[in-house]
Amino acid sequence: MKVGIPRALLYHRYGRFWEEFLAGIGAEVVVSRRTDKVLLQKGLSHVSSEICLPIKIVAGHIEELVGKIDVLFLPRLLWLEDKLYACPKMIGIVDIARMMTGDRVRVVAPKIQGSLWLPHFRAGMELCHDPMRVARALTRARRHIPVHDRTPLFPDGEKRVALLGHFYNIGDDFISRPMVDTLTGHGYRICTKDELPESVLRSRQGFARSIRWVYERELYNAFRFLVDKVDGVCMIVSMGCGPDSLVAEFMRDEAQRRDRPFLQLVIDEHTGTAGIVTRIEAFLELAERRQARALQISDSRLKIGGQGRAA
Amino acid sequence: MKASFPNLGYDTYALKTFVEDLGGEVILAPPNSRRTVELGALHSPELICMPYKITLGNMLEAIELGADTLFMAAGARKCRFGYYHYLHERALKDLGKECRFIAVTQYSPFDFVFKVMPGIFGVSPFRVIRAVAKLLAKSRLTQEFRQQLNRKMALDFDGAEQAKPKALSVIERAHTLKEIQAARGEVRRIFALNGSEPAIRLGLVGEIYFMIEQFASQEIEKELGKMGAEVVFERSLYRHIRHLLSSDPAFVRSGRLARRYLQESPGGEAIRTVGEAVYFQQQGLDGIVHIFPFTCMPENIALEALQKLSEETGLPVLSLSFDEHTSRTGLLTRLEAFVDLVKRRKLGRRLHRN
Repeated sequence: MKVGIPRALLYHRYGRFWEEFLAGIGAEVVVSRRTDKVLLQKGLSHVSSEICLPIKIVAGHIEELVGKIDVLFLPRLLWLEDKLYACPKMIGIVDIARMMTGDRVRVVAPKIQGSLWLPHFRAGMELCHDPMRVARALTRARRHIPVHDRTPLFPDGEKRVALLGHFYNIGDDFISRPMVDTLTGHGYRICTKDELPESVLRSRQGFARSIRWVYERELYNAFRFLVDKVDGVCMIVSMGCGPDSLVAEFMRDEAQRRDRPFLQLVIDEHTGTAGIVTRIEAFLELAERRQARALQISDSRLKIGGQGRAA
Repeated sequence: MKASFPNLGYDTYALKTFVEDLGGEVILAPPNSRRTVELGALHSPELICMPYKITLGNMLEAIELGADTLFMAAGARKCRFGYYHYLHERALKDLGKECRFIAVTQYSPFDFVFKVMPGIFGVSPFRVIRAVAKLLAKSRLTQEFRQQLNRKMALDFDGAEQAKPKALSVIERAHTLKEIQAARGEVRRIFALNGSEPAIRLGLVGEIYFMIEQFASQEIEKELGKMGAEVVFERSLYRHIRHLLSSDPAFVRSGRLARRYLQESPGGEAIRTVGEAVYFQQQGLDGIVHIFPFTCMPENIALEALQKLSEETGLPVLSLSFDEHTSRTGLLTRLEAFVDLVKRRKLGRRLHRN
């Protein structure tokens, strides 16, 4: 039995876990190839033009898989602990996939509500009728669920930029490659939310408490944690992303208050690399100027202090 | 207390009566206009959806008229509507507007009756219950008014335009339950018809603000009426309040009918949109018009389902997304083409049957 997983959305977080789990119950796992223009074009012809880029991409991946597989494995994330919801489109993508593929493929969609274990167990039972084997495969695959418990170090004298955005945008090379290349090309270290510990991401302090979208809360917390430690914050927002349109506004406010450059890159399928590179370069220049100004100020303070002592 | 709240189509009158019942003085925001949208859009984030911009414009205009307490519905779930009030509050503060801002959570009717409203207005819960009953009666009246107006417009557009202000003033005057009951008969008399049938009937589905506030959708009901199409709708403030009180059979039905396309609610009112569309199809309506704000998340999922519905049943579906830049001419052209298509399709079917 061939089980297909689209290399998009939640795959960027749980991909390894799913591959291991499905292989463990004796399925042949087929993962779609990395996103490229052809895949995106395929997706565009299957969903409405107004939907956000990640959904268009996942539609392309699904279309690519259909015909090569017997079962499409596409978990539906409703909410994680603390009743934090996924965004409407993440919830609806399973229904879109069902409508897109029709009878051509069977869709297995574990419904994640809080915990991962039970829905995956049920989905496993749909594919393989041996409960012991499913349980074993799940337990073995579990170690691939990404756990964040280490706090990254922020040494002095290093140039850093926070690259914020949903993990399925940052994790997809097709989307984030130009941004990452430009930033690293200028000698900046990139900090993303994925390297931060869970305790930071799940924090419920301040405005984060009233954010009821799970990944949005993580983003906001990551922003709050990183904003003082980096030279600038660069945020990738897909055009038409509802949660980001709100939360990015609060981030922009906060960044302004703390005098940190904040760049919001809105992307869709028409976004050109040249435009992005130009904007990032302008943003980095701003960050450097701010740095220089800060140095100057502390320099002049030193001088004044020095004179004071000499007199 | 000089209270105000964003306009909500004809139901503005119902809400006004509600606040007055609780002892507040109401300052209505001026009717929605080009200025409202522009004022709202000026102080809004770039990527936010249109209801936010209009409601913010309403608030700013109401403050200009002297309102000092603003009410806004809230309730955070999967749709970003639940977060509007954070941004509203912040925008008003940034502009230096001095006013009390009250976000009223929708999803806990018990708290609403026993805690929130008594806390704000200092009245007994009993009085709140009475006011809610009246709100229900009055929003039902406006729903009936809209239904009859739509039918009348499809048959006799000029007559309907003349009768509309008269009916509206009757609705505005009705204060007690008895008067509201009398107003229902009065409105029915005003829009009396001679029993003829409209050429085509179209089902209107979509996002709730757009369904209620005619300005947002550029008065789509009126335009369709002018072209001789009766617009049938189900979503209204009345049904929404019934839903919040968990007593709306139509909501349960919608959930059942939508299951074929959406197995899980993606938030907002997508389930209802799809369920209503399926229901209208079963009722034998001639087409569906789907309206929603640009970048609306749940309705975009519903759109996919409606496309599938259209594919499977052959029912014409027109999906329209709106923002403040939507051109009126373009909209009218699309509506005309759609109405023509539906009329021809109906004619072709009738000929085929004969």
